[in-house]
Amino acid sequence: MAIKTLLPGRSPRGAPNRGAPTRTAKTTSGRDRAERKLAFRMTAPSLVIMALVAAVPIGYAIWLSLNQYSVRTAGLSRFVGLENYINALASHEWWTAFGQTFLFAGLSVSLELILGTAMALLLNLAFKGRAVLRTVVLLPYAIITVVSAITWQTMFQPKMGLVTNVLSTLGLPGGDVVWLGEHGYAMAVIVMADVWKTTPFAALIILAGLQVISAETYEAAELDGASKWQTFVNITLPLLRPAIVLAAIFRTMDALRVFDLPFVLTRGANGTESMSMLAYTQLRENRLVGEGSALSILTFLTVMVVSVIYVRFAGGNIRDVAKEEQ
Amino acid sequence: MDLNRPALPLQNKATNRKALAATAIAAALLLSACGGGASPQGAEQAAAADPASGANASGAVNICGVKDASGIYKGTAEAFTKANGKVTAKYTEIGATTDEARTQIVQRLEGKSTECDLFLTDVIWTSEFASQGWLLDQTKLVEANKDRLIPSTVETTKYQDKYWASPFFTNAGLIYYQKDKVAKPESWQQLYAEAAKAPGNGYVYQGKQYEGLTVNFLEMLYSAGGEVLNDQGDVKIDSKETRDVLNFMSDGLKNGSADRAVLTYNEDPARLAYESGDFGYQRNWPHVYRLLNATPLASSFGVAPLPAWEGGKASGVLGGWNLAISAHSTNQAGAVAFIDFATTPDWQKHVAMDYSQAPVNEAAYSDPAVLQKMPFATELLASVKGAKPRPISPVYPQISQAIYKNVYAVLSGTTSTEDAVKKMAEEITTAKASF
Repeated sequence: MAIKTLLPGRSPRGAPNRGAPTRTAKTTSGRDRAERKLAFRMTAPSLVIMALVAAVPIGYAIWLSLNQYSVRTAGLSRFVGLENYINALASHEWWTAFGQTFLFAGLSVSLELILGTAMALLLNLAFKGRAVLRTVVLLPYAIITVVSAITWQTMFQPKMGLVTNVLSTLGLPGGDVVWLGEHGYAMAVIVMADVWKTTPFAALIILAGLQVISAETYEAAELDGASKWQTFVNITLPLLRPAIVLAAIFRTMDALRVFDLPFVLTRGANGTESMSMLAYTQLRENRLVGEGSALSILTFLTVMVVSVIYVRFAGGNIRDVAKEEQ
Repeated sequence: MDLNRPALPLQNKATNRKALAATAIAAALLLSACGGGASPQGAEQAAAADPASGANASGAVNICGVKDASGIYKGTAEAFTKANGKVTAKYTEIGATTDEARTQIVQRLEGKSTECDLFLTDVIWTSEFASQGWLLDQTKLVEANKDRLIPSTVETTKYQDKYWASPFFTNAGLIYYQKDKVAKPESWQQLYAEAAKAPGNGYVYQGKQYEGLTVNFLEMLYSAGGEVLNDQGDVKIDSKETRDVLNFMSDGLKNGSADRAVLTYNEDPARLAYESGDFGYQRNWPHVYRLLNATPLASSFGVAPLPAWEGGKASGVLGGWNLAISAHSTNQAGAVAFIDFATTPDWQKHVAMDYSQAPVNEAAYSDPAVLQKMPFATELLASVKGAKPRPISPVYPQISQAIYKNVYAVLSGTTSTEDAVKKMAEEITTAKASF
């Protein structure tokens, strides 16, 4: 890419053109070529570093996953090809963890997006103390997950926990439920803990999207006599879609790799074992490096496939929205 | 961060999708690239620790292990340095929790690190570490010290007819009971029946899905005469005893003998629940004694060894910590000198008096000074002497998982006893085959 094209051009409306540069001169002069070479040489080191950082550990993990290490053979490994993968995919544990992780991701991400949008809309309003509130809502996200998981565990402790105490004091149902020891409830608590912690993150991204929608658009809508709801559905939401999709991608990827919440809260009991926990157990506790690596790679592939689907489909929307905007 | 400015280039039209895709994929790559574990080193023939070498020792000894909560490790190292004169010992904390310490120790041993001469090892790690050639053979040392050590504690250091560590302090489960509400338990059946009599009599134990549940289950299984592996290492868990114990435990949760909340309890939550005064019995470790004494229950609780299964004899499961010499230690003589000191009858008294841990020397339990600080020493000794090690196997972690996952499934009501027993046996067999 020529250095020239990196410089912002001017859009017809006078705003900086953030899109594709206008290509007036199509001829590639010798200078252009030289510049291109220079640019490549300048970016090469970072490309190499990126490749090493990303590819080496993954390549190594893939290699490990094609071998079998037993505790007996210690350092000696045996090449087994795809055997570890076949065993994992044939196991009941993997599919249970797979299903449960998706259930967790589906529930938590949708709640986070709905609540995050609501929160962003609220924070976007002009009111006194807005700056303070914006900082405050971010607090849960600033707390280390393990710590917040322990807090949630304490809150939902049977008999002494805050939640159980409040429920039974108010005479509401649930005061005598062993939240983390019951199928279904345990997952609900884990989802709640995740929503509590990461909704601010979703809200932050959506808020950023909200703030770049120009006031003129709203003024025009008002002039046309659109109701608040119509404005929200027809203007805000479509223009927010890229931000929401981005939040969804980040959150889904995180949710599919979930480890600390179920690890602290239930140790995977009551149908809350995630894919990452399964890999951890094999790798760390059982020192079955091949099996554990295969599970890690499977988790990684799952996350990757989901991301690609998102970018392929939801990402298309981003382009459409961008086009419409033009 | 200034929230009034758009933080992300969301409207960058042409590059938007590419950037999004690149970010997403790069992030996925980076975040998920956690696959590579440590690669195990080849097992090698380790040398043997000679008891005589300790006498001529000099230099420095580094002992590594879990965070020193009670001060016992640092205290012992200081006392040793003072008493010995020629060798200095220091304690290095390499992990906040038992799990973390194990990971750190394994990494050092696999990497042939010479940083640590001695490792504090949980009793269940011995066979795995020994099978990897990571530890110095302590058979000679243990044979020389055997007469002053409680036999059950020595058993925890055994793997394939050799001793790979020396016991430092031990641990066994105890029953704490409210003397004003319930009777001292003689059998599990009596304890459960008594616990079901009134709402405030209930029993709390460690029923969360983790190692602690394996221990709680094995304590009952062993006293009922059942076993996981026999002396030849064959899987023997598919038995009438296993079924009886599982049914007994799950019935106990149904009829209110044990509180359903135990399904979420490890040691501390169980202790806290008991301290609320709403229960009659608690199964926990000896350290709880000191903590209970600082509560309103101080005057009303009693301590008992684990009860027997009706018609059988009591038999618990041994916990505790051993001292293992690294095969890569550069000061093996110093390490031997330290072990000699740590296991002397005199220092073992301090283990009890100063740090409330269970000594590995039998005489310590009847010492008047110890009895004054640890009035339940007699009960504790009974528990320790009657206790058996957990299944001895280099793949113990997998065996324990097979036990606690399936026991939990029965207790939480998601699996029948019959299915759980079959699965347990099957998973333990598979685990053994992976070695």
